[in-house]
Amino acid sequence: MRLAYWMYEGTAHHGVGRIANSMRGVHAVFHAPQGDDYVTTIFTMLERTPGFPAMTTSVVSGTDLARGTIRLPETLRQVEASKRPDVIVVVASCSTILLQENLEIAVRSSGVGCEVMVFDANPYRMAETRAADGLFTELVRRYAAPQALTPRPSVNILGPSSLGFHARHDLIALRRMLRVLGVDINVVAPWGAAIDDLRRLPAAWVTIAPYRELGRLAAEHLQAQFGVPALCEAPIGVQPTLRWLNALVEQLNQVGARAAGPAFAPVTLPPLTAFSLDGMSAPSNVPWFARTADMESFSGKTAFVFGDATHTVGVVKFLADELGMPIVGAGTYLLKEADWVREQLQGYVADEQFLATDEFQQVAARLADLRPELVCGTQMERHTARRYDLNCMVIAPPTHIENHLLAYRPFLGFDGADVIADEVYTTCTLGMEKHLIDLFGDAGLEEAETAPVGNGALTPPVERAEPVAHAAPARASANGGAVAVAPPPVQTVITPVWTHEAEAMLKKVPFFVRGRVRANVEKYARERGHAEITADVLLSAKEALGA
Amino acid sequence: MPPKASFTREDGLYHSFCGLVSVGWLYQKIKDSFFLILGTHTCAHLLQNTLGVMIFARPRFAVSLLEEGDLSSAQPHIADQIEEIKREHRPSVIFLLSSCTPEVMKVEFEGLAHSVSTPEVPVLFVPASGLDYTFAQSEDSVLQALLPFCPVAPPDDRRVVFLGSVNDAIADDFALEAARLGIPVAGFLPANHFHELPPIGPGTVIAPLQPFLPRVANQLVNERECRVLSSLFPFGPDGCRAFWEDLAAEFGLQVDLSQREAQAWERIKPHTDLLRGKKVFFAADTLLELPLARFLRAAGAEVLECSTPYINRRFHHRELKALEGVRLVEQANFERQLRSIAEEQPDLVISNIITANPLIGRGVVAKWGTEFIFSPIHGWAGVNTLASLCTRALRRHAQLDPLGLDPVWTAGVMPSIPGAVIPLMRS
Repeated sequence: MRLAYWMYEGTAHHGVGRIANSMRGVHAVFHAPQGDDYVTTIFTMLERTPGFPAMTTSVVSGTDLARGTIRLPETLRQVEASKRPDVIVVVASCSTILLQENLEIAVRSSGVGCEVMVFDANPYRMAETRAADGLFTELVRRYAAPQALTPRPSVNILGPSSLGFHARHDLIALRRMLRVLGVDINVVAPWGAAIDDLRRLPAAWVTIAPYRELGRLAAEHLQAQFGVPALCEAPIGVQPTLRWLNALVEQLNQVGARAAGPAFAPVTLPPLTAFSLDGMSAPSNVPWFARTADMESFSGKTAFVFGDATHTVGVVKFLADELGMPIVGAGTYLLKEADWVREQLQGYVADEQFLATDEFQQVAARLADLRPELVCGTQMERHTARRYDLNCMVIAPPTHIENHLLAYRPFLGFDGADVIADEVYTTCTLGMEKHLIDLFGDAGLEEAETAPVGNGALTPPVERAEPVAHAAPARASANGGAVAVAPPPVQTVITPVWTHEAEAMLKKVPFFVRGRVRANVEKYARERGHAEITADVLLSAKEALGA
Repeated sequence: MPPKASFTREDGLYHSFCGLVSVGWLYQKIKDSFFLILGTHTCAHLLQNTLGVMIFARPRFAVSLLEEGDLSSAQPHIADQIEEIKREHRPSVIFLLSSCTPEVMKVEFEGLAHSVSTPEVPVLFVPASGLDYTFAQSEDSVLQALLPFCPVAPPDDRRVVFLGSVNDAIADDFALEAARLGIPVAGFLPANHFHELPPIGPGTVIAPLQPFLPRVANQLVNERECRVLSSLFPFGPDGCRAFWEDLAAEFGLQVDLSQREAQAWERIKPHTDLLRGKKVFFAADTLLELPLARFLRAAGAEVLECSTPYINRRFHHRELKALEGVRLVEQANFERQLRSIAEEQPDLVISNIITANPLIGRGVVAKWGTEFIFSPIHGWAGVNTLASLCTRALRRHAQLDPLGLDPVWTAGVMPSIPGAVIPLMRS
């Protein structure tokens, strides 16, 4: 048992609800106490659904348990009457699963006409991602049927889903690129797909599954079972998008040559300007932007990336390869994907810079230690970054309502590269401006500083969180060797006291980096056993830290 | 004997949360408390999603997480976590909340709480599991747990204790208003700090501020022999007048607040003008529904249906009387409510955070009713907030461009129903 304040991943039944709410004619029924219905809110409030999410809680109350009543059959009848779904997916909850009821029998006794699938999403063995992917793969296995290929080159897009990170936008980006290539879309799933669409999946020439978290297993099944090649790379960034397009064209042409023989007219990559919004501009502005003088002062900024598997890998490579930013650390909370992420980031992130943990306190401790100039993370890292006065952008779920914006903001494709680069640019402190401020102080930008002097106002959260952070590496190491580096042993967590003189010197440091300098100097002083930070200590610290 | 108010009880297939959500306001109310939920990933996910909690200031609540390996042990070990909480948060009191999974496991909570409780930092068991408790109901459990720590007042201590958590501003209003009327105040249950609990004894008059606390009210009568005020709850001009006049009468004071009430109605006239004759349908779950419906009816609205999770004939006696003739439903079936809405065409539906957007998407003017729980709507000072919350959805609906229900404006938003929403409302 452990004390949990916050979780990265949602529950298994939330994952099931995400698949049901992605698809047409699929409805989830939670055999659960009333409280489990909270997941519905995540759809209605974050996704602002104009309809009722495709899920119903078949309420189990204490009285029901005492009387041995099972209301599931009646709920199934009500759901069938009011929603008329093709398939109902029934899952137990973390509490009802302990009752070891035979839900199959309850389902059979309901007498409903539609298909009912009891999905074994054991909430103690899987969380949101695995339950969602597991259910989706199961549905594809169940319904995909052998059939002839479409006459024209076509692809399936597997992975976009309800509450998927920027999923709607990514889907638009993919559709745009495929239209430019002249390739048809056979089926998009689970987003907007009906059961009949799943049946048609094997008619596609190629399956695109850009997300490691959802759709890849189904794509692999289609490849193994029906010979539909799978393209499982995520086109995040300009170069990966170009490679992805070339790979897609090649795969389509192989299928075409095999199926249609010499009569087949191969798919060709059009001039890249065709991929721009107006058809005549650069498909992405990132390559030029990255080479401008403006970016020169920018590209030395250190970045830390933490999130799911797909976005962590994609964003690390993008920042390093296309913007030239040094990566000081990266990691994922998806522990089952940690090995894959680490392998993908070989050459980008050293083993000791890699963090696999589902405890946000560990990530917070790492951020406090590293003080990167850019944090790319989840909503939780944004929160942590605010606490430590670091710049942060959200690149992976879990999200907050403020990440569900209206404008077109994909992460995939050329359009996505521009969106990510803009986000990096507006999140980080600017280049030229920074030079001027560095030279001349605060340039009149400073707000009256209210932090109390000498007690390290920015640091208490880290220090008080330290017992948690220290206990953690042991847990992580049991988990595939992803050891978090323990911070250097600190005998006592005393915050050194600043003398007035040193404090006055610190004031001359630009305000937006002052917090970081303060923490670094305090760390330096602690490591060397200085209880007091004098002007002298500050000077040697600045020298030692190169600040 | 309480009157035989007539209401129907349905099967409870409506959208709601479990009792754990009241932690969201209780941990802020009781400032030296810690709320420890013995639960699962589900409980943690619920709290962070429904309360919009982003750990701004190290929240004083956490989940003691039951994982697979813990399911087989007869009694979970929480001693280490209690120590961690004491070290990190230094609370004066720790509430140990039950949840569905340990209830199914038959964890013996009283014993568990007792085993880690000390005189310095008591650990109090609070039943809150979603199997038995909904939404604000678990505040009732928290107050029951606190009751033994209220000092016993002597019989000649004739003062009022206000029952139910309200914020400091509202508490000040009630204390001032009582002083103005000459009613002596002993305090509030809950108080802001564990050691500030009010003395309660046979001379105490309990004045309930919240309508979701019937069991602690009952316990107060049984254990401390105090009187519980039976009146309207202090919402709206009509509710406030009845509440204060009846409370004053408990202290032998005859006050006539008719003018005060008339002034309050006059102040919210722009809102009541808007509400008059409007058909209002309650499909909400906060347990504030009865007094809210009573206020709206007094404001001139026609209440088509008032559903609420639980009705207590004794505790809600006066509200039920004021609602005579209104269709009252306990444990509503939401699909039936949708059919009723389609049939009866209400001008305003008070629903909840879970269903508001989908209702609006189907052409209904819906008010997110959860907001009433988080807004200062009590007492005379709350009248305007209450009235404007009730009319906000109506005003906004009237103000925005009439786009009608052309599905083009929601196309692509929801993958499972791409642009095919069937309106509930006839245009």
